Amino acid sequence: MRIFKPLFIISVFLYLYLPMVVLITNSFNQSKYGYHWKAFSWKWYEKLWHNTGLMDAFVNSITIAVLTAFIATILGTLMALAIHRYKFRFKNVAGSMLFILMMSPDIVLAITFLIIFIALGIQLGFWSLLIAHITFCLPFVVITVYSQLKGFDENIIEAAQDLGASESKIFSVIIFPMILPAVLAGWLLSFTLSLDDVIISSFVSGPGFEILPIRVFSMVKVGVSPEVNALATILLVISLTAITVVSLLIKRKNSDI
Amino acid sequence: MTFKTLTKIATGVYLLFSVAFSAVAAEKIVIYNWTEYIPEGVLAQFTKETGIEVEYNTYESNEVMYSKLKLQNGKGYDIIVPSAYFIAKMSKEGLLYPIDTKKLANFSLLESTLLDKDYDPKNKYSVPYVWGSTAIGINSNDIDRQSITAWQDLWDKKWRNSLLLTDDVREVFHMALRVNGHSTNSTSETEIKQAYELLLKLMPNVLVFNSDAPREPFLAGDVSLGMIWNGEVIMAQEEDSAIEYIYPKEGAAIWVDSFAIPVGAKNKDNAHKFIDFMLRPEVAKRTVEYLGYATPNTAGIALLDEALRNNKTIFPPKEIVEQGEFFSDVGEANKLYNKYWEMLKAGQ
Amino acid sequence: MNISTFSSLINFRRVVITLTLSWLTLFVLLPHLMVLLTSILSPDSEHLVVWPITLDNYTRIFEPIYANIFWDSLLLSGTTTVICLLIGYPFAYFLSNMTPTLRVVLLFLMVVPFWTNSLIRIYAIKMIIGKKGIINSFLLTTNIIDTPLQILYTDFAVVIGLVYILLPFMVLPLMASFDKLDKNLIEVGRDLGASAVNRFIHIILPLTAPGIIAGSLMVFLPAMGMFYVADILGGAKTLLLGNVIKNQFLVVRDWPFGSAFSVFLIVLMAALLAIYHRANSYIQQKGGLDDENL
Repeated sequence: MRIFKPLFIISVFLYLYLPMVVLITNSFNQSKYGYHWKAFSWKWYEKLWHNTGLMDAFVNSITIAVLTAFIATILGTLMALAIHRYKFRFKNVAGSMLFILMMSPDIVLAITFLIIFIALGIQLGFWSLLIAHITFCLPFVVITVYSQLKGFDENIIEAAQDLGASESKIFSVIIFPMILPAVLAGWLLSFTLSLDDVIISSFVSGPGFEILPIRVFSMVKVGVSPEVNALATILLVISLTAITVVSLLIKRKNSDI
Repeated sequence: MTFKTLTKIATGVYLLFSVAFSAVAAEKIVIYNWTEYIPEGVLAQFTKETGIEVEYNTYESNEVMYSKLKLQNGKGYDIIVPSAYFIAKMSKEGLLYPIDTKKLANFSLLESTLLDKDYDPKNKYSVPYVWGSTAIGINSNDIDRQSITAWQDLWDKKWRNSLLLTDDVREVFHMALRVNGHSTNSTSETEIKQAYELLLKLMPNVLVFNSDAPREPFLAGDVSLGMIWNGEVIMAQEEDSAIEYIYPKEGAAIWVDSFAIPVGAKNKDNAHKFIDFMLRPEVAKRTVEYLGYATPNTAGIALLDEALRNNKTIFPPKEIVEQGEFFSDVGEANKLYNKYWEMLKAGQ
Repeated sequence: MNISTFSSLINFRRVVITLTLSWLTLFVLLPHLMVLLTSILSPDSEHLVVWPITLDNYTRIFEPIYANIFWDSLLLSGTTTVICLLIGYPFAYFLSNMTPTLRVVLLFLMVVPFWTNSLIRIYAIKMIIGKKGIINSFLLTTNIIDTPLQILYTDFAVVIGLVYILLPFMVLPLMASFDKLDKNLIEVGRDLGASAVNRFIHIILPLTAPGIIAGSLMVFLPAMGMFYVADILGGAKTLLLGNVIKNQFLVVRDWPFGSAFSVFLIVLMAALLAIYHRANSYIQQKGGLDDENL
C-alpha cells in the first residue's frame, strides 16, 4: 500500500500529462505536423503573436469561461439549495429540467438556444454565448453541490432556526462553508466545460465575438496549426506558475502561524 | 462571493459591452468561412486599401453554416463560402442574394470550365473561389504506385483493415456509384442500394474514416492507401514527398467552394468589393500557394511558379476534369444516402 | 421571531425559487417543449418542419439498426464510467488524505490539462498510440514486440480518449465527498476493531455514495454524446447515438426524427436511472439521488 499510493498518483499524472508533453514539444518543433522532430524553433510563438484573430478568440474564451463559471456556480448552488431545502410548486419540474439539460445532445441544445435567442431578440454574440454557457453548466454544479448537501445534519439548521437565525444567515454561516468544496468543484467543472464547448457555441456565437474552440475545430480542415500548441503551452505555463505562487504563499502563511 | 467581486465582474461586463458596440459605426464586412481559408495578410491588405473593416468568423462545417443562416433567414453575415451543393440548395430556398457580376471587374478572369455549372446556372448566386478533387492517396514508399489505377483496386482483399475513406456520405458513395458506372449525383434508389451493397464488401478493408484532415493518418504512417483530397496531398508532401495522388480511371469527384452573399446581408456593396478583391490575380496566386488547392482564376494561374502551375495534383489535366463529376444537391435522395450510410456504419 | 428575520426568510427563499424556476423555464423548459412539438411534426427538406402531426418519427426509432447503435453507445459509455470510477475513486481518496496545501496543488495540477482544447489533446493522444507513435516506437526499440500494435482506431483507443476527457468529472465530485467525510467515524471504526476492508465497505463507501453517483452521472451522460472522440480515435467506423442525432439535424436535416430520437433518449435514460434508484434504495438506505428531486 505504501508504494502503491505514490505509484498510482504518479501514473495518473503521467496519463494526464503525456499528451501535454507531446503538445509542448511540438510547439517548439519546426515541422508543421509534428510527426518527426525537425529543429527547435520559436516560429509558432511568433506567428501566434501576430495572429490577432486567434488571440482575440482566446481572450474572449477566457472571459466567457470565467464569467460563466462564476454565474453558473452561484445560480447552481442556489438551485441545489432550493431543491434540497425548500418545498415549492414545480420542484419536480425543476429537477427534471436539470436532468434533461444534461441529457440533451449538444446539437439539440444548440438549435433550441438559437431559436429562443432569435425569438427573444437577443443579439448573437457575447450575451447569447454567456447565457447558453451558463445554462449548460448548471446541471453539473447542481449535481455536485446537491450530492454534498445530502446527508447533511439537519439538526444543526433546526437549532440555528430555533436560535432565531435568518435564512440568509443560516446559508452564509452554516451551509456555505460546508458545501464550499463542492462549490469550488462546480466552479472548476463549469470553467472547463465552457472553455471546451464547440457545437452550442458555433450556433449561438455571432459576428464580432468569436471564441477559441470554434476556431480550433474549423482549423482542422487546413491542418491544426502548431500556433494552437503554442497557445496551449502558454496557458499551461501561466496556470502552473499561478499554482506554484499560490501554494508558496499558503505555505509561507502557514509557517508564519 | 463578496459584493466587491460582483461589482468587479459587472464592470468587466459593462466594459466588454461598450467595446462591442463602439465597433459598429465604421464601414465593415462580416465574413463567415473556414478558419485560415484565406491567405495570411490578404484581409489586412483589403482593409488597408478600401478602409472596410473585416470581421472574420469561422464555422466547422457547411452544415452548421447552413442551419444557422436558415434559422436567421439569411441574416448576420455578408460573405459565406459554401460548397457547390449548398449553393444549389440555398439558392433554391431563397437564402442567397444574386451577385451582380458587372460589379466584379475581375470576373472575366475566371476559367469557363468552372462557370455556369448545374449547381448555379450563369453564376447568378456564386463566384468560385477554390476547387479540388477527391481521388486516391498513396504512400509510394509502402505501395507500388503503378499497382493502383482505379477505385476498384481498393476492393482487393489484401488491403484488409488498412484503408482510409473520407467520412462523407457523398464522397464514399461517389466511389461505389462510379465503379458501378452510375452518376455521382444519382437519385435512384436501386442505384444507391447497389452502391451500398458494393460498399458493404469494402468495409472489412476500412481502417479509418476521416474527413477532418485525411493527410494526418498518411503522415503518421497509420495508413498507406485510401481516399484523399488533392490539397491534402500537397500539404502532406511538404512533410513527406512519398505521399502521392492518383486519379482513378472511373473518375474523381470534383468540388468547388464559392463566394456567396446571404440574402439578409447588411453590407452587400462591400461584399461585392470583397469578392472582386479576392478575384485579383495576385490574390488568387497567393491562395494556391497557401492552401494547395486550385484557383479558377486564369490570370492568377499564369503568375504561379512553373512547378506549381504544372502540378497535376493541383491542376488536373483537362480530360480528368471532364471525366470527373461535380457534386450537386440531390434533394430528397439525401435521406436515402444517409439511410444506407447509417446501415453501412452500423454493419447491417 | 422578529419581523426583519421573517421578511429576510421570505425574500431569500422567494428570490432563490423565482430565479431557479424562471431561468429553467425560459432556457430549458420552453426549448424542450419545442423539441417535443418538433418530434411529432413532419419533416420537409425546404422548411425543415411542416404541419401534419405524426408518430412516424417515433416508430422509426425501433428499426433494428438503432438498437445496435444504442447498445454500442451504452457499452462504450458504461465502460468509460467504470474505468473513470476505478481510477478516480482511489485517486480522490489518496488526495483527500494529504495536507490541505498539497491537496489543492494536486487538484489543480489535475484540472489544468483540461483547460487546453480537448480536440488538440485528442490529436496528441493520436500521436502517442499511433502505429509509429511513442508507445509503439518504445516497444519496438526495446524489442518487446516486433510488429506495431494496432491501438489507434480501435474501441480501446476510444475508451482511452473518453476517460482522458471525462476523468475530472468523476474526480471533482468525489473529492468533495471525501472532504465531507468525517474522519472521526473511521477512527471510531478502527477503535471498534473493524478491519480495513470492513471500514471501507461499511463506512467510507456508503458515505461517499452520493459523490460516486454524481460523478458517474456526469461521466456517463456526456459520454453518450461525445462522438468526436469516437470519430477521431476510433476511426469513425461505428456510429454512436451522438453521431446519429447530429446527422439527423445537420446532414439529413430531418429535424422531427432527430427530435424524436433525442426525446426517446432522455426518457429512456430517466427510466434507467429510476430503475437503478429503486434497486439502490432497496439494497441500502443511505446515498443516492432522490428521484423525486432529480
